[in-house]
Amino acid sequence: MCDSCGCDLNHGHSHDHSHDHSHDAKVIEVHQSLLAANTAMAEKNRAHIEKMGAVAINMISSPGSGKTTLLEKTIEAIGDSLRIGVIEGDIETDRDAARIRAKGVPVIQLTTGGACHLDAALVHKGLHLLEKEPGGDQLDLLVIENVGNLVCPATFDLGEHHRIVLVSVPEGPDKPAKYPKAFISSQVFIISKTDLLPYFDFPVEEARAEALQLNPKLLVMDLSATSGQGFEQWLDYLKGICRK
Amino acid sequence: MHEMSLVQGLLNQLHDLAREHNKTKVISVCMDIGPLSGVVMDSFQFGFDILSQENPLTRGARLEIVSSPVIYRCSGCDAKIEEESKPQACPACSETLLYPEGGDDIILRQVQME
Repeated sequence: MCDSCGCDLNHGHSHDHSHDHSHDAKVIEVHQSLLAANTAMAEKNRAHIEKMGAVAINMISSPGSGKTTLLEKTIEAIGDSLRIGVIEGDIETDRDAARIRAKGVPVIQLTTGGACHLDAALVHKGLHLLEKEPGGDQLDLLVIENVGNLVCPATFDLGEHHRIVLVSVPEGPDKPAKYPKAFISSQVFIISKTDLLPYFDFPVEEARAEALQLNPKLLVMDLSATSGQGFEQWLDYLKGICRK
Repeated sequence: MHEMSLVQGLLNQLHDLAREHNKTKVISVCMDIGPLSGVVMDSFQFGFDILSQENPLTRGARLEIVSSPVIYRCSGCDAKIEEESKPQACPACSETLLYPEGGDDIILRQVQME
C-alpha cells in the first residue's frame, strides 16, 4: 500500500515516477504548527521594532477593561520621558485612535472587519503605516492595543516583547481561572479600576494568587487610571523595559 | 471564535501540500491541539466541517484531533509532572508553583491524500 511506503516524505519534488498506479493515497507527515506563518511574521515584526530602537507591548483584555483609558493616562503621565506610538486594534471604528491622537502621539487604527483578534500580518501592515505618521519612526515604546477579547488574542504572537493582560474590578476575580491562556502567555497582569473596589466584591489578593498559580512568573499590579493609585509602579515598569 | 481563522489557515496549508505532492483529494487530517492552546476542539471541528465543504480538495475529509499532555515543571525541586489536569502541588516536594511546559501549540501532524 502506498499509505505505508512513505517513499516521498522527504524526497522533495523529484519522485513522481514509480507511483502512477491508480490508487495513489499517501500519508504525509507534516508536524508543523498552524501558527507557523503567524509566528514567522511575528519574528519579522519583532526584528523590525528592535531596528526602530523600540520595545513593544501587546495589551489584551475583555472589552471595557480600561485599556484605552490606561493608555491615555499613561501618555499624559509619562510626558517626554518616553516616546510612545500606538497601534489600535478594533473590529470597527477609529474611535480609540482618535482618543489617543488627541494626546499628541503617533497612532494608527487597525480595523479587523469582524475578526476577534489582531494577527502578526495585520500588525506588520500597521507598523508600516505608523512609520509614515509624524514621529512614528522615532519610538521608545510601541503599544499594541488588541481587540477587546480575553480569549482569541492570546493565541497570536504579534511580535511584541511583553504581553500585558488586564482585568478590571467590575469583571470579577475569576477571570484567570476561566481564561487561563491569556494569563499563561502574559508577563504582566494588571488589575484595573481599583477605585471601584469599595463597590464590588473583588478580593485582590485572591485574584493575584490565582493568576500566580497559573503562571508563577507573572508580575501583578493593581492600579486605577482615575485615582492614580498604583500608577508609579506601572510607569516605572514601562521605563524599565524601555531602558537599554 | 478564532477557530475559524485557524481552520482557514489549515485549509490553505492543505492546498499547498496537495500542490506540492500532486494530490487532488484529502482523505484525513490529524491535528495535535494542546490543552493550553486556547482552542475549543468542538469549535475547530465545527469550523472544519463547514469550511472543508467549500472545496473539492477537502470535501468529505475526516478530521482527527489528538491532544498532547502538558508537562508541569516544579519551581521548587524542578521535577517534571505529567498529569491529565494541573496538579495542585508537586507530588515530590509539595511546592504549589508549577510552570506549564508546552501544550499550547496547534500542530498539523499528518495528512492522508490521494
